[in-house]
Amino acid sequence: MSPGNQYAVKAVDLGVRYNLRFNRKTTVRTSVANFVLRRPPQRFWALRHVSIELSHGESLGVIGPNGAGKSTLLQVLAGIMRPSEGTVDVRGQVSGLLGLGAGFDPELSGVENILLGGAFLGLDDGLVHELLPSIVEFADLGDFIEAPLKTYSAGMRARLGFAIATAVDPDILLLDEVLATGDANFRAKSKERVIELVKAAKAVVLVTHDMEWVVEYCNRALLLEHGRVILEGDPNEVVKLHLDRTAAEAEARRAAALAAGLDPAVAARGGGRR
Amino acid sequence: MLPCRLMSSGNAAATIRQSPGGPSSLALLRQGITDILSRRRLIRYLTAADMKKRGSDTILGNLWWILDPLLQLVVYVIFVSIIAAKPAPDYPLFIFASIVPWKWFASVVQDASTSVVGAGLLIRQIAFPKIVLPLATASAGVVGFLWGLVPLFGLILLHPHRLSLMLVWFPVIAFVQFVFTLAVAVVVSASNVFFRDLGNALGHALRLWWFLSPGLFSLQNLEQTKFVQANPIVGTLAALNPFAVLFEAYRAVIYGAPGGAAGTTHPPDLVALGGLLLASIVLLALCITFFKRVEPEFAKVL
Repeated sequence: MSPGNQYAVKAVDLGVRYNLRFNRKTTVRTSVANFVLRRPPQRFWALRHVSIELSHGESLGVIGPNGAGKSTLLQVLAGIMRPSEGTVDVRGQVSGLLGLGAGFDPELSGVENILLGGAFLGLDDGLVHELLPSIVEFADLGDFIEAPLKTYSAGMRARLGFAIATAVDPDILLLDEVLATGDANFRAKSKERVIELVKAAKAVVLVTHDMEWVVEYCNRALLLEHGRVILEGDPNEVVKLHLDRTAAEAEARRAAALAAGLDPAVAARGGGRR
Repeated sequence: MLPCRLMSSGNAAATIRQSPGGPSSLALLRQGITDILSRRRLIRYLTAADMKKRGSDTILGNLWWILDPLLQLVVYVIFVSIIAAKPAPDYPLFIFASIVPWKWFASVVQDASTSVVGAGLLIRQIAFPKIVLPLATASAGVVGFLWGLVPLFGLILLHPHRLSLMLVWFPVIAFVQFVFTLAVAVVVSASNVFFRDLGNALGHALRLWWFLSPGLFSLQNLEQTKFVQANPIVGTLAALNPFAVLFEAYRAVIYGAPGGAAGTTHPPDLVALGGLLLASIVLLALCITFFKRVEPEFAKVL
């Protein structure tokens, strides 16, 4: 690596296309029917023409409405999903807190889940055993740590998941709405831990709906809508644009509903959607 | 606070560089084999978790692995005694030599069909080689099979006149079956992601396969039927069935010649068994390549 080329994350013209022909409900029967009826394949771009470059020491906040492709972007950066077009280059050890609260296996105990989680994350066995006491301590589950995960409450599960995922300090940290887990106590503790990781990590990409967090801890922000980049740059500007657009959309919706309420004929013709 | 440090493991790739378009088949195969070898510990953990789930780490949980083949044995013995005038001597042992291996294969394939789909949540959250999932299922199946050997060897001991040193071939035959099973498990686990009703079809396909395989009868029986004598091609096709090779081999070392005379245990047909091993290895390579090719789509479909 030459000194002038020190990016940590670089995505060029990234695109992720979903083929709706294959989804969780696809069966041989429907596929044969589609083939016989010559239905064209339905495709959907979850992300398109997204380019980002993140240097070491930078923290990027990704914001946008639901279904904008924020999580898909993180999945691509984490190597979970392969882009349909464009290239992704991530330099360094990536760790992601994507969709916490799952745990690994409901039948296994907390400790066994930590060991299994370490194996899933590709951690060295010795390291996992070394980290085990601190993970157990951080999760703070008491005697439940020896009980099967299925007996845990959702909050307890989230605590364990968080403790496992943050046990190792990565070069590049990917965070997806991690701050909304557990009770107030644990939330404060986890926020502290995330700040610590953000400070230690060489680069951070964070997906959140918490605008204060973006303004406070990110030095850059990216607004996504319908898989396209709307604006990228200074967090204050991007957050402002996002809030303005959200407000405008809510206003438009209210106006449409009002119109529909006043004139049922408009609503019947589908006037509710402008 | 938690100790903070970099991952010292060489297992996880330090750098992700991804672009669309797949690498060559050979590169995929190499990558698949590397995945398996570098994630042995994950496979071991998943195998243990799988066994714990179905209670097969306890004797009580394994009772079904012992009882199930025995109950099946009773059903087939009654069934065949009714429709066939004169079954082979020591008929229970004759068919038990194929019932137990078949249960191994069928249960691994059925479980493999849900192995990737069942891990959907994890696949969308963590990047890990998905091929460990069917592999763990196949490994857990080996443990179940070992329990299934308890009633099998019990029955062999009840027929001491058929007991012979030929049993040393047993692990060799089981190994060939394992390689074949692994290949089928890998391809089934990936296919079920894209076609969710495969599990239903699979149950019927397996049942048909069982009755078409020489488990309740021998290949020799089949060749003597009028239909096969009129159409010798059917006999040839039947002999090419991997489970024809395996069942005949198991029977050769456990039961003896299909005629039924005691003391006729003999080494399996090594040409057929070697051919099957070779074909299974090629099939396994193809299945791993196929798995690696469709693997990037899993996160999108699940």
